[in-house]
Amino acid sequence: MEAIRNAFDFTDLPRGEMIIAALALLFLLLFPVLPHSSFAMATMIQFLMFSLYGMGWNLIGGYGGQVDLGKAQYVGIGAYTTALLMIRLDVPFWYSLPVGLALAVIWSFIIGYPLFRLKGHYFAIATIATSLVLKDIFEVWNFVGGARGLEIPLKGNLPNWLYLQFKQDYYYFYVLLAMFLVGLIYVNGFRHSRLGFQLRAIKDNENVARSLGIDAHWCKIKAYATATAFVAAVGSFHACYNFNIEPEDVMSLDLSVLIALMAMLGGAGSMWGPIIGAAILVPMKSYLGDWLGGKAGMAGMDLLLYGAIIMFIAAVQPRGVYGIVEALRARRRR
Amino acid sequence: MEALAVQILKSLVSGLLMGLVFALVALGLTVIFGVMDIVNFAHGEFLMIGMYTTLLTSPLLGVDPVLTLPLCVLVGAVLGLLCYHGLIRFLLRGPMIAQLFGTFGLMLFLRNMALLVMGSEPRIIHAGWLVGKSFAVGPNVVLESTKLAAAVLSVVSFLVIWWLINRTKVGRALTATSLDAEGARYMGISTERMNALAWAVGGASVAVAGGLLVNFWPVEPGVGLLFTMIAFATVALGGFGSVRGAFVAGIIIGLIVNVPPVWDALLRTIDAVGLKNLEIHSLKYTMVYAIYFLIMVIRPQGLFGWKQ
Repeated sequence: MEAIRNAFDFTDLPRGEMIIAALALLFLLLFPVLPHSSFAMATMIQFLMFSLYGMGWNLIGGYGGQVDLGKAQYVGIGAYTTALLMIRLDVPFWYSLPVGLALAVIWSFIIGYPLFRLKGHYFAIATIATSLVLKDIFEVWNFVGGARGLEIPLKGNLPNWLYLQFKQDYYYFYVLLAMFLVGLIYVNGFRHSRLGFQLRAIKDNENVARSLGIDAHWCKIKAYATATAFVAAVGSFHACYNFNIEPEDVMSLDLSVLIALMAMLGGAGSMWGPIIGAAILVPMKSYLGDWLGGKAGMAGMDLLLYGAIIMFIAAVQPRGVYGIVEALRARRRR
Repeated sequence: MEALAVQILKSLVSGLLMGLVFALVALGLTVIFGVMDIVNFAHGEFLMIGMYTTLLTSPLLGVDPVLTLPLCVLVGAVLGLLCYHGLIRFLLRGPMIAQLFGTFGLMLFLRNMALLVMGSEPRIIHAGWLVGKSFAVGPNVVLESTKLAAAVLSVVSFLVIWWLINRTKVGRALTATSLDAEGARYMGISTERMNALAWAVGGASVAVAGGLLVNFWPVEPGVGLLFTMIAFATVALGGFGSVRGAFVAGIIIGLIVNVPPVWDALLRTIDAVGLKNLEIHSLKYTMVYAIYFLIMVIRPQGLFGWKQ
C-alpha cells in the first residue's frame, strides 16, 4: 500500500519542477490537437520512446551507477517476441507484451547474474559483448528472419486496438503516452523505495553499503531486471509501430549507446534526467539528420556533432543538464 | 578427410598470423590501461586512422606502403598526445561514467570525421612490394606475404615496446606510475607526462598495426568497432595492463577466430545431415565477444593480469 502511495507522491519535488512538469504534461496531452506536421508527430513518438528507454536505463545506470551499454538486446527481445507471436501465432499485442517482458526479464537474470560480478569498465564492455553476441545470432538465425528481419502483415480493418495497428499516428502517440505516464509513476515510486535507496548507497560506496547488510549483487540484478522490463515493453511497441524490425535496427550498439547517452546528457540518477536528455537529443537528431542528410557529402555530420557533445559533457559536466540546474539552485540557496 | 586436414593446417597458419596482428592492435590498449586505468573506446578508430595514413600517403609520397610505417608511428603518437591533452586529462577528474562516455564520444567523432572526409566505400592497397605475393607452405596451403610481414613486424614492435618498458629509465617510470601513481609522484616522477607518454606509445603502436593491416584488410570508416572489440577481448584474456599477456592472448584469439571454418569443414567431412546448412563461419567474430564475456566472468584478471 505504501509503495503505491509513494508512487503517486510528487510533493517532495521543488515547486518550480512541479509547474514545469505539469505544463509539459499538458503540452503532451494536447499535442495531437495542436497543428503539427507528421514529421513532428514521428519525432514526438521517438521522444516518448527514448524517454522510456532512458528511464529504464536510469534505474540501473543512474541510480545504481552501473554503466550498461547493452540495453538494445532487450529492445530486440521485446520487439522480436511481439513480431514473431503476431506473425506465426496471430497473438494480439496486449498478450505478447507480457510474454516479451517475461522473456526479456528472464534473459536479464541469466545474463545479469554473472555480469554483476564485474565492476566499472569491465561491466560496461561485457554488456556490449553480450548485446553483440545476441545481435549476431539473430542476424544468421533463419527462424527470426535473419539480417532482413521480420515484417508484420496488416490486419484488415483499421484502427485495430488489439493488434495495435492504426492509420493515424496519434493513436500510437496516446498509447505510448499512457505507457510513459505509467513509467514515470513507477520511477517516482522507485525513488522512494527500499531498492532505490539501497542502489544509491551502492553507487556512493559499495563496500560501506555491503557492510550495512545490503546484498549489493542481488540489488543490482533486481534493478537490472526492472530496467529491462521498461526497455522490452517499448521494444514490443516499436515492433507494432514500425511494422518492420531487423537486428541492425533494434539491437545495434548505436541504440544501446543512444539510450545511455540520453540519460547521461539529461542527468543520470535524477528522475527528470532521461526525459530532459530525450527532449534535447531526439529533436536534434531527427531535425539535424533530416536537414544534413539531404545535403550531399554531409553524411555523418550529425553523429560527428553527437561525438563532440558527448566529449564536451563528459569533460565539463558529467552530471548532465540536470546537474547544471542543481548546481545553479545550490548557488542561489547560498 | 584430406580436406579437413588441409583446413586445419590453413586455419592454424592464418590464425597464428592474424593472432600476431591482433596482439599488436591490443598492445596499445593494454599499455594505456595499465598506466592509467582508462578504457579507450576509440582504439579501433586510431587503427582506422593508421590504415588511412598508409593508404593516402603511399601514393602521395610515391613510396611503397611499407615505407610509410614511420609516418604511421608519428601520426599515431601525435593523435595519442592530442587526445590525452585535449580530452582525457579532463575526463580523469570526473567519475568513471564520464571516462567511458568521453572516449565513446571520441570514437563517434573520429569515425564520422573519417566518413565525412573519406566517404563510406571500402578501400584497400592494390600495389606494393608485398601485395599479391604468396608462397606455398604445403599442399593447398599458401602464406600471403602481406600477412607474414605484418606478423613479423608485430613481433618486432612487441620487442621494441618490451625493451622500452623493461630496459629504459622512462619505462621504469612508466611501470612505477602504473603500479602506484601516488607513490611515483612522491619519487619525483611526473605522472602527467607518463600518462601522455602511454597515450603516445599506445597510439603509435596501434597506428603501425593499421598501416600493416591495410595491405590485406579493406579500410572504411566503420572498421574500428570490430577491432576495438577484438582488442578488448585480447586484453581481457591476457590480463588488463600486461604486455606479455597481450602477446599470448592475441595469438590465442587469432586461433579461436579460425575455429569455425574448421568446424564447418568437419561437418562437411562427416556429412552430418541437418547440420550441413549451419554455416558457423559467419559467426566468426561473435566468438570473440562471447570469449570476452566468458573470460571476464570466469577469470577477471586474465592470464597474466595483475590489475583487478
